[in-house]
Amino acid sequence: MILFGGKIYPTDRQSELLGILEKRINRTLAFGNLDRETVISALDDLAVRIALGRYDKLIAGFAPDDVTRYKNAAITAMKRENLETRLAVELPDNIMAGRTGSLIHSVRPLGTIMHIAAGNADGLPALSVLEGLVTGNVNILKLPSADNGITIKILTELIETAPEIADYIYVFDTPSADVDAMRKMADISDGIVVWGGETAVRAVRALAPAGAKLIEWGHRLGFAYISGYENENAELTALAKHIAETGQMLCSSCQTIYLDTYDTDTLDMFAEKFLPVLERAADAYLHTDIGASAQLSVNRYCERLESAAGFSRRKDRHTLYGKNCSITVCRGSTLELSGMYANVLVKRLPEKHILPVLRRTKGTLQTAGLICSPEKRDRLTEMLIRSGVNRVMRAGDMSASFTGEAHDGEYPLRRYIRNTDTEIL
Amino acid sequence: MDPRTALFSYPDPYDVKGTDRLFVRAMRDCCVYHYRHCPEYRKILDSAGFDPYGIKSPSDITRLPFLPTVFLKKHRIYSMPQYRMPIKATSSGTGGVYSRIGFDTQGLYCGLRMVLKVFGLRGIVSPQPCNYVILGYKPHKSNHTVIAKTAYGYTLLTPALSRTFALKYTDGTYKPDLEGTAAAVVRNSRSHFPTRFIGFPAYTWFMLRLMDERGMNVRLPAGSKIMLGGGWKQFYKEQVNKSDMYALAKKVLDIDEENIIESYGAAEHPILYCDCKNHHFHIPVYSRVIIRDVNTLEPLGYGKTGLVNLITPMVYGTPIQSIVTDDLGILHRSEECGCGISSPYLEIIGRAGFTDVKTCAAGAEEILKTAGGDAQ
Repeated sequence: MILFGGKIYPTDRQSELLGILEKRINRTLAFGNLDRETVISALDDLAVRIALGRYDKLIAGFAPDDVTRYKNAAITAMKRENLETRLAVELPDNIMAGRTGSLIHSVRPLGTIMHIAAGNADGLPALSVLEGLVTGNVNILKLPSADNGITIKILTELIETAPEIADYIYVFDTPSADVDAMRKMADISDGIVVWGGETAVRAVRALAPAGAKLIEWGHRLGFAYISGYENENAELTALAKHIAETGQMLCSSCQTIYLDTYDTDTLDMFAEKFLPVLERAADAYLHTDIGASAQLSVNRYCERLESAAGFSRRKDRHTLYGKNCSITVCRGSTLELSGMYANVLVKRLPEKHILPVLRRTKGTLQTAGLICSPEKRDRLTEMLIRSGVNRVMRAGDMSASFTGEAHDGEYPLRRYIRNTDTEIL
Repeated sequence: MDPRTALFSYPDPYDVKGTDRLFVRAMRDCCVYHYRHCPEYRKILDSAGFDPYGIKSPSDITRLPFLPTVFLKKHRIYSMPQYRMPIKATSSGTGGVYSRIGFDTQGLYCGLRMVLKVFGLRGIVSPQPCNYVILGYKPHKSNHTVIAKTAYGYTLLTPALSRTFALKYTDGTYKPDLEGTAAAVVRNSRSHFPTRFIGFPAYTWFMLRLMDERGMNVRLPAGSKIMLGGGWKQFYKEQVNKSDMYALAKKVLDIDEENIIESYGAAEHPILYCDCKNHHFHIPVYSRVIIRDVNTLEPLGYGKTGLVNLITPMVYGTPIQSIVTDDLGILHRSEECGCGISSPYLEIIGRAGFTDVKTCAAGAEEILKTAGGDAQ
């Protein structure tokens, strides 16, 4: 499905539509003027309608188990108050615009932005376009292959609310293998936003025209760090809920739980204590992806066979299995990806080793969920940030979004604009 | 005659009910053989408390511990010394790792009987010479994949006038030559003899599309066929509906739907599942299929989606008599097809794994590995 100038077209018209895209966008760039207030009003209007439950059925069709979560995420991203806070924090007029001597500084949209979104979080492609719209850009979106249709639905609703936005949104469901089509989109663009791993980024670099700004949002890993408790029961329950609820699929999801200890027995004791907590959470947030369930079951079964057959796969770790979840206790401390879907790793990381160990994975650090006694919080937070972590949260809030927060250490909206200078007489 | 050979010599390849007792006996012999000759396999059965000598009914086979293909990809296990296995073939290794299966002589003989019987019913074994276009690998000494060996083997089912390969081995790697292949198809269309296409659906589709885009529409002689097998592999995102493939084959090559034959199989389960006239994979007498729940791995019965457990007593070289693939499938009753074949049929509807949802966290792990990080 293609969304082009506010209308929906079938995929097989891609070539024809791409043929006229540049001319259309050039006309918009030359004569169009997307008022920021129009965009904010339209988004706020949509947020209100979502809050009133107007789209509950629709959201349930896309994500039956997560209606409330998706609703809240959409409302948070779209409501006026939050958008205005974001703009004030990320693009403060008093800093970005003004006058120095005979120069007038102003903030302008980058121009045309191509978005190549990842499919791991529903709504992310729409969010990426939303950021492009708020900054006044024309947006070309290449949908991820795993998109479930909600992106075009959200954007169509937005265009119905404010038809003048139609000229600023073009969505194509082009497969990543269609390099020719991707290159045509890239050729028209001033900036290319890419959400994804190194392979995706490398592929985009290869097709980007010289001089186009690459806006990369790479993959990251999250972890929890435990050094004592304020309220052990509540904090472990919140951590387990976070792990099960996000399925450990997000950059901010907890993959590894670090304990502030040198002692491996402490890891085993923790795993035994945490397993029933994780089991309860996994039961409450049972994921529905049949392919992933099958893979996990086969992996677990295979590990048991390997052990039975005498193939000791890894001597440096052992796994405690619960219902729909597992905890693997490891001897090493390097941050790594878990088996996901409530299959978490537990490792030692004494406070003294935080920085040298985390620096090994500095390019992929994002969120740390910190559980500790109150007197340690400031010191540990500082050490985690010095190690390269960009977000230090309460363990249960690792994947929560907060208005005005940076993303991977940067303010997104600042990457979608350009600063212009004009000399006046 | 031993039960295995008797099973593979059975006259009706789809009389599953009629062969139940024979199948159970053949499975017992096969399991006992592997139990006695493969120490790792014996440990697996022992640890599950499974006695292969006690296999007496189909329900015993349901309880037999199965090996996932991922296990066979990680560990090479055999029940015979290498010299007694004339063919050792590998899976395609789509994800970079592959299994290596050893075949015993009698097992290969059984396989040959199966191919002649199953393809014979579909009119594929014929004395009429054919031109062959293989949309797969050109044999090379470095290529041990089952898919390359079987594709070549299928060109022996009729006298071959010519063989054109779409994937040629040059400079140490296989490269597709779709243009050369399309040119060969045009050449073949001038022959009085039919052309047969054998190979991967993806390359067949790419070739058809290329010919269509360039207006290279031909009318191949009657009797021309397209034989698809091996799945879409790395091109799974481009997978098209079967009806689109059939329509394009008709338009470009003038080959009717009934002459497009798809087969299903795996290196770890070398049984030939050939589709019927309604394009369904009916279970032949040589195997049984159990669909297992994706969470509990317990058998599910008909009409439910789960992991595909494939069972056959064909091979004695490697203990692959009960394996679970990465495929997700549904087992249907024969009546749902209506083609006249009396055995149930298997529908493949997807794959196990996280492929559809590429997580950002998984992506980060890839970066760490590429960068040489010492993920433990």
